[in-house]
Amino acid sequence: MLQKSPPNHDGPPNHAGGTLLASEPRGMSSSAKPMSARKLVADKLLWETLKRWKRSSPELDRIQFLKTVPFFNELSHRQLKTVSDTLFERNYETDELIFEEGQPGAVLFLILDGKVAVEMCRENHTTTLAILEKGAFFGEMALLNEAPRSANARSLERTYTLALYRNDLSRLIQRDPQTACQIYRALASIIGDRLRSTNELMHTEIPTDKV
Amino acid sequence: MGPEQDFEEKERERKVRRRVFHLTFASLALILGGFLIWKLSSLVLPIIVGALLAFLFRPVKERFKIPWLPHELQVLCSFAAIGLVLFFAFDTARKHIPDDQQKLEFKVRLKYKLNEKYQQLMTKSPEGKSSMLVGLIEKQVGPLMDKVNELLELDPQERELFLKYRAGYNGNPPIENKFFEYFQANQNTRKYVTPEEAPAAAPAATAAVAARVEPPAAREGSSLEAWILAPLIFVFLGFDNGQMRHYFISLVPNRYFELSLTLLDRLDDAIGKYLRGTLTECFLVGLTLCLGLILLGIPVGPAVAIGLISGLVNAIPWLGTLIALVICLSYALIAENIAPLIPGLNPNNLPLYVLILVGITRVLDDVVFQPFVLGSAVNIHPLVVVVAIIGGSLIMGLWGMVFAIPTVVVVKTAIETLFKELKDYRII
Repeated sequence: MLQKSPPNHDGPPNHAGGTLLASEPRGMSSSAKPMSARKLVADKLLWETLKRWKRSSPELDRIQFLKTVPFFNELSHRQLKTVSDTLFERNYETDELIFEEGQPGAVLFLILDGKVAVEMCRENHTTTLAILEKGAFFGEMALLNEAPRSANARSLERTYTLALYRNDLSRLIQRDPQTACQIYRALASIIGDRLRSTNELMHTEIPTDKV
Repeated sequence: MGPEQDFEEKERERKVRRRVFHLTFASLALILGGFLIWKLSSLVLPIIVGALLAFLFRPVKERFKIPWLPHELQVLCSFAAIGLVLFFAFDTARKHIPDDQQKLEFKVRLKYKLNEKYQQLMTKSPEGKSSMLVGLIEKQVGPLMDKVNELLELDPQERELFLKYRAGYNGNPPIENKFFEYFQANQNTRKYVTPEEAPAAAPAATAAVAARVEPPAAREGSSLEAWILAPLIFVFLGFDNGQMRHYFISLVPNRYFELSLTLLDRLDDAIGKYLRGTLTECFLVGLTLCLGLILLGIPVGPAVAIGLISGLVNAIPWLGTLIALVICLSYALIAENIAPLIPGLNPNNLPLYVLILVGITRVLDDVVFQPFVLGSAVNIHPLVVVVAIIGGSLIMGLWGMVFAIPTVVVVKTAIETLFKELKDYRII
């Protein structure tokens, strides 16, 4: 599940306490003072509880996580909430296949926690292409079309993921065109970067005179 | 035994336990579900209708988007818009719904005109001899006419009310003389089949009619209460913002995650297109008939009512057209004061024009509406259509007939999509 934020031990803002003391009526008897101190403690406790509850709500945690993902880092809080509502949470056991090469792709996966190996099987030989960790994403081509998956994805340990379904993103174009547009632009940029690095790799691997 | 083997052994045991648990839970859920459906069968139809309406109106809800407004308020606004449109539609339709006096007039006129037309058709030669064909028709249609007359017969209370309205009652103008003449003529309607000719059929038919006429009051009340569920289901499903879909998908094992998402989406798309297409098609058929009838000189009120009913029953393939034809012809037979826009049209040849109108509507439906609105969304074999309609009518009467084909379409699409996706995902 989503990792809980550490409990916050920050005290209430000074002005809160200050306001409370300042609002005390003049000429109050000495017996009223312990009452207001108790009230202050109660308020402080309530404030801290509310703050902790607010900070550790799964929805906020998810939004905080999405902010760290390159796909969504340009989106506002409201836009991230819209995206967060469309995501599916999936948990995988160690060594569980997330998707298989050749299957029609429909979903992009974001790793909330855990480790995933992207591998290719050729003639009884498995090649690991990449090992992805928390914050990484895979299967992004599925957001563009229904083309078959080009590799296997397998969890190397207990893995928590968020999944974004292609048609949910398509529907977002109608509901919130600006958000959808920003996501597609980020997707295009990421795919462009990967194409560029593949081209560079080809140039370094294959001598120019052989091309 | 090493720690790795021990771990694998434990994992295997856990897998077996999980499977047993899932199987037990699924069986219990199935049994409980079946029991509840059987016990609460009266709730099934309102739930289906509410869910279907929510499904049909979902595009309206989704179109109604104001980014700064919370989801719940947006849904409420879209419901208010739908409600407002429906209110005006019903309010307009209500004005054309006949009151008690008009209902009595209609019943009296229908009985009189039907008998008049029937007698005209069965006119015997001056010598009093009927032709063989007429005799044959009389033998076949006679019992049916007797049953229709029985159904249209005013009961003592209605007769008393008719006479009260004749003198002017409840602030209404008195019933016209011609209706009173019809009423008197109806008192003397003879039986077309003598009791010796049909000794067994008549009592059975009367019993059947009586059984249908006297539904238990308690049952009526309970079914009315059940129908309160329909708008509730509609509203709560309307508020759903994909949470139900998320919940059901969360129950699916990881292996079938992408498959179930795709499957649900395809089903939603195909069924949505079919249902919304059918609704549009029914609306267009109803509108065509309504405009056609107005063109033939039938008053706007009855034309709208006939258009509405014909549009609704158009959801039943083939039989829908037949029902629409019967309704239109019945009205054409009793129509008296028509103001046709077509020259040469009079009440005597109106049935012929109505027949042509229904024919043209049918052709328009086949050639323009269906291909344009539905495309080749779902093709069902005619035999399946017939069996489904008969089966639906046996299980749930008229509602069963209306819902038979959409149900077949849902099941057919679900099976086709399921098999296709299972193959694509190499599960089978």
